[in-house]
Amino acid sequence: MNWTCDLIEARLSDYLEGLLQGPERAAFEAHANSCADCAPLVASVRGLVGEMHSMEKLETPPRLVYAILDKTLGPRETVTGWQGFLNAIRGLATPKFAYGGASVMATLIIILSASGFSLRKPKLADLRPAAIYQSADRGVHLVRARCVKYVSDLRVVYEIQSRLRQDENNLQTTPEEMLPKSSPEKNPGQTDDHKPSQPRQQNRANEISRQIELLAAEFPLLSERSGR
Amino acid sequence: MRRHTRRIFNICYRFTGNRTDAEDLSQDVFLRVYRTLGSYRSAHGGFATWATSVTRNLLIDHYRRTKRDRITDSLDDKMPVVENKESAGRRPDEQALLGELSMQVQSALIRLSPELREAVILRDLQQLEYAEIQTVLAVPEGTVKSRINRGRIELARILQQMGVRPA
Repeated sequence: MNWTCDLIEARLSDYLEGLLQGPERAAFEAHANSCADCAPLVASVRGLVGEMHSMEKLETPPRLVYAILDKTLGPRETVTGWQGFLNAIRGLATPKFAYGGASVMATLIIILSASGFSLRKPKLADLRPAAIYQSADRGVHLVRARCVKYVSDLRVVYEIQSRLRQDENNLQTTPEEMLPKSSPEKNPGQTDDHKPSQPRQQNRANEISRQIELLAAEFPLLSERSGR
Repeated sequence: MRRHTRRIFNICYRFTGNRTDAEDLSQDVFLRVYRTLGSYRSAHGGFATWATSVTRNLLIDHYRRTKRDRITDSLDDKMPVVENKESAGRRPDEQALLGELSMQVQSALIRLSPELREAVILRDLQQLEYAEIQTVLAVPEGTVKSRINRGRIELARILQQMGVRPA
């Protein structure tokens, strides 16, 4: 089909909006590119459509919305004084604002309590910076002391528990192992590190027996001295 | 409401070319919508489409009422002179409201016939779909496409005669 200038003009918007496909599009472009009248027309319309699409929408005049409201709902009275104040506050009565207000109050109460300000007997002097600093410093030291004491107590409890656990393990061993064995090479105060299988209680028993022997050895001397 | 107000104001201003008329007509549109809200049905399309239909009807009524007060919209040989008169007659705030090219397109738009003008405004300035424009104008889709096409070509020729070349 031979495209004429009239046909180009009639299908121009379809071409610009991509509604022409395949052979139709090719035939359109073939005529438009070669025709002295159609080529500038296509270019100018294409440019115009692009410009109109990029034109920004106009801003609404500032008072137009209020004028529309006055015309539809009628003129509204301006409320002043306490009524206006209450109307403004009424706008704050929303759950979101209530939650926010409650969390702010809770934060303030926590901070005031931590700063030493008594909520039951409030005193203006408690709000002095020096008083707040002293209260905070005292609070920090108190907390630190409590933590240190807590850790120390835990350590003592752990040591006691570990000793008791060891004693329980020792009691579960065989009776022959529990008998104190005299060991000549055992010196008082010597640890059992080189013999891990020997129970500690045996060391203690050896030490006690050794001391008793030494004491017994001292008795003849004492009796001799007392006899003189 | 502000979104609808802006859209309706833009349609009215682009159609009338006059800010005062556009504000008055926008108020009339909302008053009509407010009074006839009970007659709105979803079969009329979305609320925005229905409001656009009301706007278009009021604009046509306004055009017919003021037709005798307007300069004829036929193309004549004195176009460049008319363009200068239009620019001189435009209020400074309106010039500030529009860009340079936007002003020239606006000047050319009001020279189109109402049928072509409304079709181009709804398609190219408001980016409405063909189906929506068909609902607003209450004409078949073929007629919508034909008006848009002729409106664009006519607008391009007017701008060419005014010495304006779109990029």
